[in-house]
Amino acid sequence: MRQQTDVKLDNAFVVNDLDLYYGDFQALKNINIKIPLNKVTAFIGPSGCGKSTLLRCFNRMNDLIESARIEGEIYHHDTEIHGKEVDVVQLRTVVGMVFQQPNPFPMSVYDNVAYGLRCQGVKDRRILDEVVETSLKQAALWDEVKDHLNRNATKLSGGQQQRLCIARAISLTPEVILMDEPTSALDPIATSKIEDLIIELKKSYTIIIVTHSMSQAARISDMTAFFLLGEMIEYDDTDIIFHNPADQRTEDYISGKFG
Amino acid sequence: MTSEQQNSKALIRERSKKRRSLYKSVDKAMQFVFRFCGLLAALMIILIVFFVTVRGIQVFLPSYDDPVSLREFLTGMRWRTDQGIYGVFFIVINTLVTAFFAGLIAFPLSTLSALMIVKIAPKRLSNILTTVVELLAAIPSVVYGVFASGVITAIVKRIANLFNYTTFGGNSMLAAILLLAIMIYPTITSMAVVAIRAVPESHELGSLALGASRTQTNFKVVLSSAKSGIFAGLILGLGRAFGEATAVSMVAGNAFTGPTLNPFNLVRTLTTTMLQGLHETVGTDYDIRFSVGIVLMLVILFNNLAINALRRKIESGD
Repeated sequence: MRQQTDVKLDNAFVVNDLDLYYGDFQALKNINIKIPLNKVTAFIGPSGCGKSTLLRCFNRMNDLIESARIEGEIYHHDTEIHGKEVDVVQLRTVVGMVFQQPNPFPMSVYDNVAYGLRCQGVKDRRILDEVVETSLKQAALWDEVKDHLNRNATKLSGGQQQRLCIARAISLTPEVILMDEPTSALDPIATSKIEDLIIELKKSYTIIIVTHSMSQAARISDMTAFFLLGEMIEYDDTDIIFHNPADQRTEDYISGKFG
Repeated sequence: MTSEQQNSKALIRERSKKRRSLYKSVDKAMQFVFRFCGLLAALMIILIVFFVTVRGIQVFLPSYDDPVSLREFLTGMRWRTDQGIYGVFFIVINTLVTAFFAGLIAFPLSTLSALMIVKIAPKRLSNILTTVVELLAAIPSVVYGVFASGVITAIVKRIANLFNYTTFGGNSMLAAILLLAIMIYPTITSMAVVAIRAVPESHELGSLALGASRTQTNFKVVLSSAKSGIFAGLILGLGRAFGEATAVSMVAGNAFTGPTLNPFNLVRTLTTTMLQGLHETVGTDYDIRFSVGIVLMLVILFNNLAINALRRKIESGD
């Protein structure tokens, strides 16, 4: 019993025996994983291995896919997130998400960052001003946009848009930020800026990142999980996964024998 | 390389040369066809505007048999063909008011219907609703007209009685407004459906992932992303409201004077003025319909400019 309490304290998520089906197709098979607090956890694996699907379980974005069916448990602290008492809207304010393609809304930079709070009913201009500024600062975008907060966000460059999306997620001060290949649509310079930002953000947030780039996982993550065909093959410290993996398949993937 | 190979190479080169010159001439011919089509469209507009304008202006010229004063035409509040009085100003006001209220009724309903069709209704219902809207758009205006003169007027008559007003058999501004609202509803709805369908799913997912509810997402992100297309629908819809003649003339009642703001009074719109009795008349009464046509085209032009300005204002943010 004592041990279980510890688990809940140190972990942002605990996943027990999770199966996920899209219709007849089983996309995730018996996943058991503990996501530690205030660390960067990377999910790697070839396309279609289920890593993004698992990521979308944490803020229940899979609810939006009609054919998706989930069995098993996901605990966020001591709440099972599929429980009846859980408000999915509330959950998503605690578990933020950044997508593969930067997806700023076609409105001003300011309105983009203020959007989440406004949806929560915050109208006080001073609070909004403050949150917009701190969020943009945390996302390392403030200096570039502070003089044109009223500009349409779609006019920003791809890298700036992605940092704006991170600022948007931060604005709700979530505990966890899910990132679904956040740099795959960006050039190397924009990518390195986002990577620096992620390392900075893990002081305050738990980050789970899906990435196709193994070097990125090695650079920024503390923990790495390797997925293959819906199964989690191996999960350990990033150092161990990359230098001394236990499973042959992990080693083959890391060393580029398939991918 | 054998001489045979060389021969075949030369042959291929010769052939491709021929083909290239053939493509070139086809290109040239097609370019001519395209240019002609573009020119035709432009030519038709120019022809129509030119013809209507020339015919419409002549009644004001001193050379005309019985010239009409342009000033009285533009500022007049009475339209008495029998007395030779032609004042178009109140008709413009009537036209603007009916179209405005028709738009006011139809626009929110259309936008919400489109949202329902694209985002809320289950797929089967959505397909049925789409077909219904398409059918509504395809009903000829004269059919709307008989429906309005048989059904809408009866309803309006009842409403008027409720408020102790009398109507001329239900023929009234209110009847025209309701009729036009029904007629432009499918136009605006189908444009809004297209616009809402075009909103990228990533915007919606982004909004939901930020803890927005479905309703918040639909109104704050989906509608605001689609507003450009929805406004285009409004322009088309109001264009139809301004331009509809047949059906409106069956319920408007063709008032002699105006403008009126009482919904139970008879009205006269620019189109009904142009249409009614067109084939039973000659002289000034015939020619002046072209002048009314110029006014109508100007009204529609200014309306479109105004809506575009409004759209730009909304898009640039508050």
